[in-house]
Amino acid sequence: MKEKNKTPLIRLAKRVKTDMMSPRKVWAIRIGSIVFAFILGMIPIIMAGQNPFQSYGIIISGALSKPGYIRQTVKRAIPLLGVALAIAPCFKMKFWNIGAEGQITMGAIFASAIAIWFQNSLPAFPLLMLMMLAGILGGAIWAFIPGFFKAKYNTNETLFTLMMNYIAIGIVRWLQGGPWEGRPGTQIIPMFSDKARLPNVFGIYCGWIIVLVLVVVVHIYMNYTKHGYEVAVIGDSENTARYAGMNVGWIMMRTMLLSGSICGIVGWMLVSGANGTLNADVAGGVGFTAITVAWLSQLNSFAMIIIASMLAIIGKGSATLQTKLGVPASVADIVSGILLFCMLGCEFFINYKLIFRKKSDKEVHA
Amino acid sequence: MKKLAVVLLVALIAMTAVFAAGGSEAPAATAAKTTKIGFVVINDESDQGYTWNFTNGMNAAIEKLKAEGYNVELLTKKNTTESAICKDNNIELAEEGCEIIFNNSYGFEPYMLEAAKEYPNVKFVGMTNCAGQVDDNPNTFNAFAAIYEARYVAGIAAGMKLQQEINEGKIKPEEAVMGYVGAFSFAEVISGMSGFYLGARSVCPSVTMKVYFVGTWGDATLEEAAANALIDEGCKLISQHSDTTSPALAAQKAGVYHVGYNTDMTKVAPNASLLSSRIDWSRYFYEFIKNHIDGKENPSDWAGTYAEGDVKVTDLNTAIAAPGTQEAMDKAIAAFHAGTLHVFDLDTFTINGQKGTNETMYDSFAAVQGNATYDGYFHESELQSAPYFVGVIDGITWLNVAY
Repeated sequence: MKEKNKTPLIRLAKRVKTDMMSPRKVWAIRIGSIVFAFILGMIPIIMAGQNPFQSYGIIISGALSKPGYIRQTVKRAIPLLGVALAIAPCFKMKFWNIGAEGQITMGAIFASAIAIWFQNSLPAFPLLMLMMLAGILGGAIWAFIPGFFKAKYNTNETLFTLMMNYIAIGIVRWLQGGPWEGRPGTQIIPMFSDKARLPNVFGIYCGWIIVLVLVVVVHIYMNYTKHGYEVAVIGDSENTARYAGMNVGWIMMRTMLLSGSICGIVGWMLVSGANGTLNADVAGGVGFTAITVAWLSQLNSFAMIIIASMLAIIGKGSATLQTKLGVPASVADIVSGILLFCMLGCEFFINYKLIFRKKSDKEVHA
Repeated sequence: MKKLAVVLLVALIAMTAVFAAGGSEAPAATAAKTTKIGFVVINDESDQGYTWNFTNGMNAAIEKLKAEGYNVELLTKKNTTESAICKDNNIELAEEGCEIIFNNSYGFEPYMLEAAKEYPNVKFVGMTNCAGQVDDNPNTFNAFAAIYEARYVAGIAAGMKLQQEINEGKIKPEEAVMGYVGAFSFAEVISGMSGFYLGARSVCPSVTMKVYFVGTWGDATLEEAAANALIDEGCKLISQHSDTTSPALAAQKAGVYHVGYNTDMTKVAPNASLLSSRIDWSRYFYEFIKNHIDGKENPSDWAGTYAEGDVKVTDLNTAIAAPGTQEAMDKAIAAFHAGTLHVFDLDTFTINGQKGTNETMYDSFAAVQGNATYDGYFHESELQSAPYFVGVIDGITWLNVAY
């Protein structure tokens, strides 16, 4: 009898298929969370002594109101979208690849090696293609290593992929100050020649076309191929997959190879398109921000275009805000952090329900 | 009615006051359009060192310009890294309508040059760097100042202190060893440390110097470790070409003396720090912006000097400095003004026991190549503003190299 009194005041329960929220309610929660985030975000802006409405206005106009702004915004969105596409298959499989940062960097290193060794001997097109293949190889190797150990020895992929990031970045630091350094003491790898640079289309390096193609490719791969189906089954239940006769280890390694390859493409585009050379900041946190992009889009390729653009707008707009009003960049970072937190956090209220204890011992569903 | 009349009258008076105030300001505001100046900096002014020194120079220049009726507005991008972010920040400032964009770190230049290609009507200045001078873009510029002259003067204060210790019998002449925490073993650091050493040796003939390169421009922990290693090697005075105050603190803790850089370090190490050398950028900023607004040409490469007040030393810490230090420094400063003192006078040093030659002293990686060795001295910062003296002077021991 006493047991009943021990029912906690609030309980959590995961919603099951039968009592899912209606889509309208789901979207109301999502939009509500964005509104809530913007209200919460006013606090740091006011503390920095600025008018929040004016600040939000500048964030939007500072990202979109001029062709020059739009070019910079798109430039920010390209790697975010590319990497979100790369990690989506892993996450679908519940393989927590947080090593995109290192896989991008490794792809960038391999692509740079080709640029540095052959930029004086090869014509532009074969050089760029060779750089891309090298980038794919670099990213794939870096992703395969943790994939292999996970498949064979069940190592923790989260830690493994994370640690691989630091090694890759360390290698770039060594190259920057060592074999590839330009003038001794500068820590700078010289800019690649124009032959090793991706051409611009509409004023932005053509990486935006490449990622849009990837959106379609990944969408098809995930939804209309046997591989994609296998990934989904493993994500739902590894045991089911095994029972169905799937080679879970191989599928894991294969998916990591794919993920690393796409990251490698992004690394190649960054050195060859956006940056023009290699440095330790080549990934610049994209590998982590892209996780947010992938989650917010619920691993849907087309939704990733929207989410990546949105984050790029906030990023570029915040930079403009800092320039125009002198607001410290960190304040803008806090605001975008709040926004991401609320957007990710609201999924909790969509997937779980709160159950309140009632005095009469009858449960009420919130 | 009377009440209403009074209210109207008061309102009228108030409005005239507003219009009068507005009227007096309006012509000035409309006469000169606002010229936007961009500034891309590494770290921010809270580093109390490198960028702080730049920001002070910029603020002083802008204040002076405003006082003369020039309407300028400064937009700053702080905490910029030496990566594609630097290019983005330059583009952003150009998009905001900045007519001149200054970049304050050596590693910014390659990225700045990329942005310069896209915005040919904006002037881009790579400070402490050298490519703008030699590239064919008319909108790129460089600037540096003869910091080795200020280090020479600071070296005199260091030498005077060690000579005093020798004269008082506290140390033997051969124990007068200085330690130098350098960032990287390339021209800018080598030129500066050699100037510092030669300044010290001009007043303390037995002094020698050990150099440890930390391989970074600013890392408080590494700089402190380097300073402590040098103190363990028997150094009685520490100087530095790195961005933080940690070598000063290490010196203070170990009870040895210190000569700083960029900023007055006597506040953090009152018992150790004698003075600091620094660059004063205000004249450059002022003249460049003024020339631009007046429609005059700016030099593609600009080298500041001690004689013009572009490099200087901070106030001497008289509580611990040797007597006569100020006089000795003033003598050298006067000689810089008169043009009679040359830091790299070939008669004052040797390289491997030989007199220095252009081959043993000129940086083969410098953007501009040429002969700087004539008239009995090495002409530093004359062919290009960025330093190119890389001679390894006898008396200075390199404990390591860091590229």
